Amino acid sequence: MTTTIASPAPILAVRPSGAAVARLAAGIGILGLWELVARLYAPSFIATPSGIIAVLPTVLSSGAFLKATWITLAATAEGLVAAVVLGTAIGVLMGRSLLADRLLRLWINSFNAMPMIVILPLLSLWFGYSAAARFWTIVFAAIFAVIVNASEGARSVSRDYIEVASAFRAPRWRILFEIVLPASTPYLLAGLRLAGGRALIGAVVAEFFTAIPGLGYFILFNSRTFHQNEAFVAVLLLAAFGVGFDALVNHATRRHLPWYRRDEAAE
Amino acid sequence: MRAVLARHGPFLVSLFGGLALWEIAGRNTGAAFMAPLSETLLRLGELFRSGKLVADTLSSLSIFTTGFLAAIAAGIPLGLLLARVRLLREAFDVYIMILYATPMVALIPFILSLMGFGFAPKVLVVFLFALFPILYNTLEGARSIRPELIEVARSFRSGEWALWREVMLPYTLPYAMTGVRQAIARALVGMIAAEFFLSASGLGALIMTASQSFDTAGVFAAMLIIGLLGIGLTRLGAMLEAHFARWRH
Repeated sequence: MTTTIASPAPILAVRPSGAAVARLAAGIGILGLWELVARLYAPSFIATPSGIIAVLPTVLSSGAFLKATWITLAATAEGLVAAVVLGTAIGVLMGRSLLADRLLRLWINSFNAMPMIVILPLLSLWFGYSAAARFWTIVFAAIFAVIVNASEGARSVSRDYIEVASAFRAPRWRILFEIVLPASTPYLLAGLRLAGGRALIGAVVAEFFTAIPGLGYFILFNSRTFHQNEAFVAVLLLAAFGVGFDALVNHATRRHLPWYRRDEAAE
Repeated sequence: MRAVLARHGPFLVSLFGGLALWEIAGRNTGAAFMAPLSETLLRLGELFRSGKLVADTLSSLSIFTTGFLAAIAAGIPLGLLLARVRLLREAFDVYIMILYATPMVALIPFILSLMGFGFAPKVLVVFLFALFPILYNTLEGARSIRPELIEVARSFRSGEWALWREVMLPYTLPYAMTGVRQAIARALVGMIAAEFFLSASGLGALIMTASQSFDTAGVFAAMLIIGLLGIGLTRLGAMLEAHFARWRH
């Protein structure tokens, strides 16, 4: 991006840039190497680029695949929304109340440091091998990143704003919704970006574990029945969701908060 | 005494309050639902005395350490190389970004059928989880080296090796350490996922077998150890980052 600004613009805009050519060559190189190694050394059921391309139309138009995609996406979104709402509430409380922060900080940080998928066996004891176990896995996987960032954001709100608002007798809920939350948006977005990735991992892991329908189970089932090419289409889709969500949040950050630098956020 | 209480009071209240809450909740729910702290600790004692806890922890840690060190050994030099050679960077940066955002757990079934059970596939999972945060942050850090620094080194006839060792690496390490800290959290998830879904082993297996035999206290005991491990490793990551951050900016 910076290079296009620094170097003089080419006279013919259609000429492909060196970077694009290099990128394309690298992509073809990676796929070619994969294809070659898989054909020479791996058993025939191993996924290959040509095999994946061959099954792509069938998989993308199959009802089972579309349904699995929808289920996993909806479950991830549902869990993520719950985590964001609940996590923002707890985080803002911690950011604005010293007492809440002191009581909760130790536990929030500890849970945040824990690989949250360890909770799966427990959740499957509680909820059985069910969608509820997946929902709570996603919530647990995502919520601590939200809380940590929301509390950082709420704490970073300039005291002047709040003092002015209270001097004008603004009620607390207006201070919350009109000052604290908007001012901590960059932190909330940073938390959302992290939480989105973790929620997706939580969903896939939960489906591996409980074998309930969804993209994770689609991958598991197809790779076990020697349909690795089909399974890999689902991996590509998951990667696309991961990348797409990241890009969406980054775009929102750049577009609406151009004054904000990403590396300031807490992770 | 009072000074100590005033300083550590909130922490102690939070710690013991939380533990008391755990005990009370555990006693007032069904045995299959939650185990109180006391029972968990007793179970932990049993596991420790039988030697199983130590063996499982060491088994998990050996997977974690091997994969993680491999990710550092690959990620930092590769990041520096990509930052130094513009063509390579332009060729591969998009793919690194994509892999950085890909949920790596989805690859576990493929790794299983390709490499089977054993130590190596689990190490590979940890490696894949940890590599991309390190690679990505190292690359971003090394890219932000001011060109003047490299030009000065060059005009003093610095060789490529000296340039890497005395300019690029020191400059980039703080950024790389941010990646290392992020990678610790991811690698822990990778370790547990590998132990769940490849051949069950270590602390992951400890949790699984406990939950399959409805040994709730065993599940909580294993979770407690994994939690403490996570806290310890996260601390270590934060310390590393803070240590190297001294010469950042």
